[in-house]
Amino acid sequence: MNWTASLAIVLGLVSIAAALGLVWRARTGRVRAVHVGAEVSIIRPADVASEAAFGQRATLLQFSTEFCAPCRGTRVLLGELAADHNGVVHVDVDLTDRPDLARRFNVMQTPTTLLLDGSGAVRARIAGTPRRDELRSRLDELPWSPHARIA
Amino acid sequence: MPASPDETTPGTPATPTAIDPRAPRFGAGITAVLLVVTVFLGLSGFTTAAFVLLVIAAALFAWGAFAGIQRHPYGLVFKRVIRPRLAPPAELEDAAPPTFAQGIGLVVTGLGVILHVLGVPYALVIAAALAFIAAFLNSVFGYCIGCQIYLLLVRAGVIRRHRAAIG
Repeated sequence: MNWTASLAIVLGLVSIAAALGLVWRARTGRVRAVHVGAEVSIIRPADVASEAAFGQRATLLQFSTEFCAPCRGTRVLLGELAADHNGVVHVDVDLTDRPDLARRFNVMQTPTTLLLDGSGAVRARIAGTPRRDELRSRLDELPWSPHARIA
Repeated sequence: MPASPDETTPGTPATPTAIDPRAPRFGAGITAVLLVVTVFLGLSGFTTAAFVLLVIAAALFAWGAFAGIQRHPYGLVFKRVIRPRLAPPAELEDAAPPTFAQGIGLVVTGLGVILHVLGVPYALVIAAALAFIAAFLNSVFGYCIGCQIYLLLVRAGVIRRHRAAIG
């Protein structure tokens, strides 16, 4: 192959890598709503081998592994959000040796965060480091008890 | 013998070692340049030169994967030459994720080397291109390959790990 063609392919390769990176950056950390009933409906602490109780208003259930650099920053971010909100608890579950839990909750990448309401129902799912403001406003929308509004 | 905190071996990370997160990204940048040159030479017919570069890339990945990212030569260059010119990092990062990424790089480039030796056409260029994309994303975007791939490998049964008997 001549040099010009090789150079064109190499430039194409760099463009593909750059496009992949931009798509990834645009998608990562978005808070995606989960419609009740669409997934494992209710999660309890025992389901994720958590000794900590879940929050009465909401739980930020983080899934991590040892090979995940942004899990550390996510831990700090979610810990701060939980500290700022009454009734909100942050729980971090290490999936490094728990492929069964990864399968059960369909976790493909880390960090993955599930936002649970007071009853343990999954309300939102975030793949990647969560966007603080987006998650904060979603938390503020959650009522104290999911049943309070119906009554 | 007291365990040194940075005695981290692949597969069994003990105490997490904290490193400057910019060090592995700096190294990934050099790796990306090396790999893109490999692709160019491979396509242009300089097969021997491309093969030598891919072997060097694989050897460097092996160094990072087995000795740990904190002992990688690029990391040492960063520490001696680059870091003294920068502000201290806002936060530190565990060595285990970038060390795992080095292992992925070793598998991809190592397979490329082996398949090329076996005479598989384009194996060299394809392996270098795949490893380039990963190194580029890591360096430019801070993309963490272990985040995306570890659970997939575990769920597919490619990686099997058992926690040391705790109970």
